[in-house]
Amino acid sequence: MLIHSKMKLAEVIHLNYHLLQIISRFGINLGFGDKSIEHVCRDYFIDVDFFLEILNSYHNKDYFPQKHLQGFSVGLIVEYLRKSHEYYLHTKIPEIEQLLQRLSDSYPEETRETYQLIDKFFTGYKLELSDHIQREEHKVYPYVFSVENAYLARNPTVEIVSSIHNYSMDDFEEEHDNVEDKLYDLKNILIKYLPLPADPRLCQAVLFELFRLETDLNDHARIEDKVLVPKVKYMEKWILEHFNA
Amino acid sequence: MESIHVIIADLSQLTRTGVSAILRQFGYPTSCREIMHPDRLTDYVFKNHNTLLIISNSFISKCSSDQLRNLTARTRYLFKILIRDSGTLLLPIHTFNEIIEPEDNDKIIFRKLEKQLQGLLKPFTAGIVQEEISDREKEVLRLVAMGFTNKEIAEKLFISAHTVITHRKNITSKLGIKTIAGLTVYAVIHKLISPDIVN
Repeated sequence: MLIHSKMKLAEVIHLNYHLLQIISRFGINLGFGDKSIEHVCRDYFIDVDFFLEILNSYHNKDYFPQKHLQGFSVGLIVEYLRKSHEYYLHTKIPEIEQLLQRLSDSYPEETRETYQLIDKFFTGYKLELSDHIQREEHKVYPYVFSVENAYLARNPTVEIVSSIHNYSMDDFEEEHDNVEDKLYDLKNILIKYLPLPADPRLCQAVLFELFRLETDLNDHARIEDKVLVPKVKYMEKWILEHFNA
Repeated sequence: MESIHVIIADLSQLTRTGVSAILRQFGYPTSCREIMHPDRLTDYVFKNHNTLLIISNSFISKCSSDQLRNLTARTRYLFKILIRDSGTLLLPIHTFNEIIEPEDNDKIIFRKLEKQLQGLLKPFTAGIVQEEISDREKEVLRLVAMGFTNKEIAEKLFISAHTVITHRKNITSKLGIKTIAGLTVYAVIHKLISPDIVN
């Protein structure tokens, strides 16, 4: 089912509660009554078409009208990606950390050392994720903005061309790191190997959160790969072609 | 068909004899051993695969903290039945696959034992591929978890680096764990290395 601007936002949440995290990422608070998506977006100064594309692409994995999403400015896409980074680092990860803390506290004192390893393992994962995010925010996004500026100004300068030669979206795509490997391992350790804690529901709660984080990270990566990368590549190509012309 | 090792750990001769008599009625391929001292646990229980441990609460009360830790570890090939004979439980109830209560009659005891024996036989009758890692792989895993490189591991074990890599691939595919940090956690949980080494 395609989500459109005339639908009530409340209905959309009933349709798929996972979209709650998306609306909060756009800064929308609950309590919007029976307002339509269009109306809520107006209240919050949100680009309604962009908002709809993000909602639809999360709601239905097969939905991905790349051409349409690529019509939005890099600024809008990057702002959204930044907000989701913030959500991972400042909301989701601390939530999981708290659950893991409770999990390791639930083991008897004399065996606790073993389970604290799980906390440590997760801290390692958090550092990797945060490095990955830092690199995007401090290296990739500024680069992407400079490409867009040059493209929009129709001004392929020496500087921008050399910066494309120095680092381009091809490099970004190759910088695939295995952040997701640790998440995969942690899930398997909890599912297959960890001795049951006194309260088995704790283990389940952690697993639910890990699966959710993974899904969200995959959706996030899809927007990077399918929207941001092709858009910037297109502009890089234009700049290089017009530099010598 | 591989046989099941049954260990009956109880302080009372009467109980041990009674349990082994019931077990004989099943006709499953079992080898039965009775132990009356916790030190014997290490000799029999944690070395064999495919073991059914029938242990009483009063026996557990005589165990050291190390032995208790071994008992709580969860493995696929050790099924544990508690005979609740006295006092308060010293281990979390989830440690056990089944509990035999003082008031259970012969039919109930029979059914409880049978269920566990069938559970142990299942992986073999269903022809499931065993994913347990071999002793050699365990040794490689232990060294990986301790932070040695492939080259160092090859030198220590007198094998080629290529063989180390093959072992590592097999370990990863059997366990479903890809990262060194993850393998380390596994190694600690399974007591291949001590948590101190990691710290």
